[in-house]
Amino acid sequence: MTPAVAKYVAFARVAAAQVRHERSDLAGRVLFFAVILGVFSSLWRAAVDAGLPVGADSKQLLWYLAITEWITLSTPQIHLDIQDTIRRGDVIYRLGRPASFVLAELAAGLGLLAVRLPVLGLAAVGCAAWFTGWVPPLTALAIVVPIGIAAAVMLTALHVWIGLLAFWLQDVSPVYWVCQKLLFVLGGMMLPLQLYPELVQRLAALTPCPVLLAAPASFVLGSPAMAPRTLIVRLALWSGAIALGMRWTFRRAAADLMINGG
Amino acid sequence: MNRNSLVFARSLLATNVKAALALRGALATQVALMALNNLTFFVFWWALMARVPVIRGWRLGDVQLLFGLVAAAFGLTVALAGGVRQLGRFIEDGDLDTLLTQPRSVLVYALGMRSHPPGIGDVVSGAFLIATSGYLSLRSAPLLIVAIGASAVMFLATGVLFFSVAFWLGRVESIARQMWELLITFSLYPEPLFGGVLRLALFTILPAGFVGYLPAAVVRTPSLPHVCLLVGGAAAYLALAVAVFNRGLRRYASGSRFSTFG
Repeated sequence: MTPAVAKYVAFARVAAAQVRHERSDLAGRVLFFAVILGVFSSLWRAAVDAGLPVGADSKQLLWYLAITEWITLSTPQIHLDIQDTIRRGDVIYRLGRPASFVLAELAAGLGLLAVRLPVLGLAAVGCAAWFTGWVPPLTALAIVVPIGIAAAVMLTALHVWIGLLAFWLQDVSPVYWVCQKLLFVLGGMMLPLQLYPELVQRLAALTPCPVLLAAPASFVLGSPAMAPRTLIVRLALWSGAIALGMRWTFRRAAADLMINGG
Repeated sequence: MNRNSLVFARSLLATNVKAALALRGALATQVALMALNNLTFFVFWWALMARVPVIRGWRLGDVQLLFGLVAAAFGLTVALAGGVRQLGRFIEDGDLDTLLTQPRSVLVYALGMRSHPPGIGDVVSGAFLIATSGYLSLRSAPLLIVAIGASAVMFLATGVLFFSVAFWLGRVESIARQMWELLITFSLYPEPLFGGVLRLALFTILPAGFVGYLPAAVVRTPSLPHVCLLVGGAAAYLALAVAVFNRGLRRYASGSRFSTFG
């Protein structure tokens, strides 16, 4: 491992070590996950009994939700840490270090993700299997897992980008909320996109939201939203766009940064 | 609660309102975003029930009523007694020190010393959902007020109960907060989805039944027993919460905090 990479791995390891000590938070997430899946297990059974016209049964719908929630609940709210660092002015001390501020924050986010993804992944599989008494074909899971991890990484990068907006906005929470709501509807977080009106589906196709949640989870529905190769290409393209956005935002911010006092 | 405490609570409320109105632009943004946040979440139900008009006897209007009641009650609780969200931290960090020296009820002071203005957005979106649910009429208006009031009291009482555990167990804020959020989660879904032991738990340990289902039942199928059960249940929970908090206060260990207050 080159020293350039090793320093960011160190940031990730420190963050991972911290989250491992916050067991109550992780336990709370697992509990919340189990409750949500339990509630939706009943809801989907009732909806399918009532004649929900979607090409999937209640078991597949619950697994779909388990995948979308696995990705969203695993992704750290790193934008809040970045916002605090910027608002406190600590970012000034970080700029002088021989490591990129943005990459260090992203590495820390990935460190958190490295702990949460396996824990919540096990919770997702365990709860979904228990509530449905069914497991999707292993071929589908073999596609979902790596693509889900890639989507979670891209979502973490998106949170980093939102955090960088704190250079101009005092509070980035409204931006985060809007992003979360877009993911909720256009990402098909709880309902597969084909259940939404045509207009919503068309709008969704213009955003990265379906690539982050609906498309990876659709592999357990038996009717994937797109072929794995197409999804990987789109994930790569949107990741590239986010990376460029982060780079541009940070360069603009660093150029405009005013240092007062000492 | 004696008359002095009520006058004091009203003064705290007036102070919080003044503080919130000092930053009107920020307040308006937060309120609008919170309302948008709730309505976006409800898009899920609109999309689902456009496909399945009846789920276990619940129509869209019923779910709108339930969601509206819970949102309005929660918003009222955190806007008027926002300190409940920080009660666990006050206890853990010894922040009650400064309140103990005041000639007023410690609990009323702790609850009323903070306000969460976005809660007004919850009230607004809740009112909108109730108004469009088909259950708003001159005859139902008093029942709606009772239902929202009792539900808000339940939110407050369960919050005080959960966070007061910190008096005995120390750092439990994260778990207590997650329990409170679970209460919200459960109360937002129609009651017939849950059965057996879970239904019993939802009227006792995690009283989502008193927060959402019973208030909705009072409006949907008005009856004196329902109203008595709701009001009696809310009063009993509040009495229990006050008793537990006061009992815990006897065990409270000072944070040796030195600060000015006023």
